[in-house]
Amino acid sequence: MMAQITQWILVFAASLILQTSFVPVIAIAGIKPDLLLVVLFFFCIRYGVMPGIFVGFFMGLGVDLYSPSLLGQNALVAMATGAFLGLFNERMMRTDPLIKMALMFVAFILHDSLFLIVQVAKLGDPVSTIFGGLLLHTLPRAIYSIAVAALWFAWDMLVKPLARK
Amino acid sequence: MQWIIRFFASHRNITSLLILSIVSIWMLNSPQMQQQRIARFLTVSVFYPFQFYFNQTTRIKNIFAENRKLKEQIASLSVKVALLTENTRENERLTDLLGISRQFSFTLAPARVVVRDPSYLSRSAIVNVGRDDGIVPYMPVMTSRGVAGKVAQVMGRMSLVQLLIDPANRTSVMIDRTREIGILETTNGSDFFIMFRAHADVAVGDTIVTSGLGGIYPKGLLAGTVVKLEENRDPIFKKAFVKPEVDFDRMEEVFVIKMSPQWASFKSELDSLENGK
Repeated sequence: MMAQITQWILVFAASLILQTSFVPVIAIAGIKPDLLLVVLFFFCIRYGVMPGIFVGFFMGLGVDLYSPSLLGQNALVAMATGAFLGLFNERMMRTDPLIKMALMFVAFILHDSLFLIVQVAKLGDPVSTIFGGLLLHTLPRAIYSIAVAALWFAWDMLVKPLARK
Repeated sequence: MQWIIRFFASHRNITSLLILSIVSIWMLNSPQMQQQRIARFLTVSVFYPFQFYFNQTTRIKNIFAENRKLKEQIASLSVKVALLTENTRENERLTDLLGISRQFSFTLAPARVVVRDPSYLSRSAIVNVGRDDGIVPYMPVMTSRGVAGKVAQVMGRMSLVQLLIDPANRTSVMIDRTREIGILETTNGSDFFIMFRAHADVAVGDTIVTSGLGGIYPKGLLAGTVVKLEENRDPIFKKAFVKPEVDFDRMEEVFVIKMSPQWASFKSELDSLENGK
């Protein structure tokens, strides 16, 4: 149990470090994959709703403290996304990688929609920014992140079975 | 009260979501000052280890960026330092030459060596003054250290200088201290020697200057120093090895002494004498 917790803490820490150091290097036209959300996705579908809510909340709070945004915005949004993803717990339903990818895409849309809704509500931005943001920012970011997450799927499907053998 | 606890226990997910949502919304709606206080409290308590990691990562990233910038600056400064060093050296050399130019009674034409074969076989150099600058063949060429050679061929804007290291170039010189006269010559371009009479007063360390007898070089130009004597080998002559003053491998700026040959009337005879024919 402790080993698993440590492992996940390390994974989150590593993704945070990579997100701030390496990811900007691989940005394409300003579009960067969101490693934190990718890791949160894998965490939530493995451990369910409750851990998803807490980890999402604290992860979002960490991002809030790190980036100059509204305090609590990322916490709320990541928590809601974690809760949503936790509903698709692997212990209750097995899904193949393609479904997982589709689910990840939905998670990105949900996360960014909530984020933009909070932004519109708090800062008084026009509602059109939600659709514009989703179209111009979220869609490419989700696709890029899914492409990066495919490496995880490859690890799960190819390397792990080989290692077990 | 008990039913509330039972409700929370049976609906843990909803309860957690609700509580944390309320906390998030409370933070979102807090005034700016309070948000800063919360952020500061969380930073120094719950998120300290993560914050530490972030700071370290950012620091390392900054160090890498700074390192890259510093390397660029070093490269740029190295080039500047090299240029400045070169300019300083050139300045020193030109100052030396200027000093000599002021001391000298002849008119000097400053010139730069533009072509030089770096191999040891190189016995001539091309300088960037020529006929258009009033240069004629057989004018002596010197550096700030001493005599270097003579003009062998003249073109419009360039001249070919036959250096002392050319075995065909023999120069009439004398010991500055005793006025003993001899011919400075070399057979391989690196070992210079003068054959003196066996009883001539020559010692190691003696300064060799041009004698002014050859008709090409004016009297008294520094040529070298006696570094070794070879005596008792020959009953008639003693051989004095000379180290020339001019470093022929590092010759960059020279002066052509604008003086007409003193032997114009018997030029052909002297040419054959100098070339050893």
